[in-house]
Amino acid sequence: MPEGILCNKQPIVTDEQLKLTLGDKSGKQYYAEMEQLDVDTDKLWSTIQNTMKSRLKTWLNICAKCGLCADSCFLYECNDRVPEQVPSYKIHATLGEIVKRKGKVDNAFMRKCMDIAWSWCTCCNRCGQFCPHGIDMGVMFSYLRGLLFSQGFVPWELKIGSGMHRVYKAQMDVTTEDWVDTCEWMADENSEEWPGLEIPIDKEDADIMYTINAREAKHYPEDIAEAAILFHVAGENWTMPSEGWEQTSLTLFAGDWEGCKQQVLHVYDAIERLRPKRVVGTECGHAHRATVIEGPYWAGREDGQPPRPYIHYVEWLAEMLRTGRIKIDPAKRIKEPVTLQDSCNYVRNQGLKNITREIMSYIVEPGYFVEMAPNKEYNYCCGGGGGFNGIGKYRPQRNIALLKKREQILATGCKLVVAPCHNCWDAIRDLEEEYPMGLRWSFLKPLVIKMMIVPDHLKPQDEEGEE
Amino acid sequence: MKKKILLATTGSPASFGAARVAFEMARRYDAELLLFHVAGVPKKGFSYQEVSDVRSQEAVQVDEDYMAWVEEELKTTYAKQLEECKNSRIILANGLPHREILRAARSEDVDMIVMGAHSGDSSASYSKGYPGSTLQRVAKAAKCPVMTVHRESASYMGGFSHIVFATDFSKQSESAFKYALSMAKEYDCEMTLFHALDITSKVLAQSDIEDKLITLRKRLRDVYGPKMVDFKNFEVDVWEGNPYVEIVKIARERMADLIVLAHNTRELDPEQASMGSTLEQVILRANCPVVSVNRPDKV
Repeated sequence: MPEGILCNKQPIVTDEQLKLTLGDKSGKQYYAEMEQLDVDTDKLWSTIQNTMKSRLKTWLNICAKCGLCADSCFLYECNDRVPEQVPSYKIHATLGEIVKRKGKVDNAFMRKCMDIAWSWCTCCNRCGQFCPHGIDMGVMFSYLRGLLFSQGFVPWELKIGSGMHRVYKAQMDVTTEDWVDTCEWMADENSEEWPGLEIPIDKEDADIMYTINAREAKHYPEDIAEAAILFHVAGENWTMPSEGWEQTSLTLFAGDWEGCKQQVLHVYDAIERLRPKRVVGTECGHAHRATVIEGPYWAGREDGQPPRPYIHYVEWLAEMLRTGRIKIDPAKRIKEPVTLQDSCNYVRNQGLKNITREIMSYIVEPGYFVEMAPNKEYNYCCGGGGGFNGIGKYRPQRNIALLKKREQILATGCKLVVAPCHNCWDAIRDLEEEYPMGLRWSFLKPLVIKMMIVPDHLKPQDEEGEE
Repeated sequence: MKKKILLATTGSPASFGAARVAFEMARRYDAELLLFHVAGVPKKGFSYQEVSDVRSQEAVQVDEDYMAWVEEELKTTYAKQLEECKNSRIILANGLPHREILRAARSEDVDMIVMGAHSGDSSASYSKGYPGSTLQRVAKAAKCPVMTVHRESASYMGGFSHIVFATDFSKQSESAFKYALSMAKEYDCEMTLFHALDITSKVLAQSDIEDKLITLRKRLRDVYGPKMVDFKNFEVDVWEGNPYVEIVKIARERMADLIVLAHNTRELDPEQASMGSTLEQVILRANCPVVSVNRPDKV
């Protein structure tokens, strides 16, 4: 069968196709169709010739298969250190083989590549730091995912995720109307407690434009309200765009290159339209990577930068705490052992390691912050990165992958984990579900709201009744 | 009477008391009843396709079959009530329960939310990573009155005849008062305006207590008396003690069938506030439905 109804080489671009694919329980029909999907070997080879640049070619050629990357890979460690999980082996057995055979590979091989690309690698890029040649397998696996996507060999959830971005401009079916209404709702719900609280939409020339992860709008808009409260208390002149508010990119995880570009352009269009002085993104790692680190290249921006300075939430928060625009009540600082999850996507990929620790120094009583080992740019992936968290087919493998983080957290002796990344937050939540150990976990926003000093003029006027 | 009641139910026995009151109120006062149920909490990184079923806690794929099955279960559970209450709709949602209840209350513009105090189990998926119980979070944020019925014995519903309004003189209590008074007028109830002098954390001389009681009774009359206008069927009382105990006691003594008070704690963290506020203790102990009102919007 050349193309299936659900599993095919076309990305999802209509709501009907999206609903049809969603309606397929567990992707049963989708994966059945995948077994019959033809590989367009000519197209595969021509794609490689057109897109595989010298860096990747060189990397494939010079990899000496020395195995020094082996111990860097948490999946290798969690999976009994089987040789098949050594990063260099993984990439040579997949991308290397496709290139070697000039794209002449069959269906079974492509399905094997899909398994490896999405369940044996989270594109965390940790191995790249240990290779004597500086080869980054994460980058190569991202590239392989793109090849697989173009041939229709992509996990069901990520095909849907990419379709969501193309149809709704967000990873979830949140329409512009839903979105604006959600912001009004949150401002309304919190206005008694925070007089004057606003969530300004489409305000031009604001100091800050804020962008989020669609899950916040869909399932826990408290996160939007919390951001609004902190902007309010810090006295920011801020806004959110009615279109282009979704900062995440499941297209990045799916390998949907065209979708990646489309999505990031929505955000950049909003920036150009509203002309904020700078942009702040929510506590999400891959959203930052997609929109700030890789996005400019997808969008073809020559300077490699977004249209305006674009910072991660931890950078904004550290600035507020440092300059005293948000003040922490010392009595309310965290007084229990607490550890910090470094998100690969903005710590390893952008070096924001010290700024998160600066935040910890303001919100944790001295002596209570415990580092994981290893940490900072050497920290391990949460276990669910790169889309791993969301793929049902690879749930058993993902659960094994969580074990490294479990081991790291257990070694700190902490029960509280600060996780300023939606994906890490989820992985730690699932860690507690799969292997209960009494963990609690939090984003930064609710922690800071609980411990900040609210200036008198921002407090509600009423006040507590008598007795 | 209130025109639209949203009954938020898990469908488990823990919410039967709430269901009984909600259906009875809808029938008696000719209101529309929205039977609202959150079928599952998203799993897999909040992606769509898989949720953890709120009752079985099992991971299930959301599709039309599953939702139809959940609806059928609800219809079976409440078969008798639905049969008697023609003006009703079943609404299903997936998501975090408190958020979906609030979302539905907003989009349907309901006049009251009725719910049980807890889900009947200590299911982790309700609250993972989010402090506070569903009730705490709904009561804190809802714009309409929230009626809670903790147990079946509190669900006798022969209409309203005596309302206890308990106040701590806070701003939120003003909204609760307006609601209590309008209910009392509409249903021609007796009303007790009550304040409990909290003496739990201090040792006071008896004469001091008695002086305070006199002052507080006067304050109650001064604050609320003029607002009663032509409504005369009320009394004013102040007792000393632990507030939630005194509120439950006076409700019992007056044979009240409704307690109205404000839920004005801002603390959601269960370690800080779980069941700590007066409202929550009253809900757990009262022998009648308890309505919390925080906002002026729907009173």
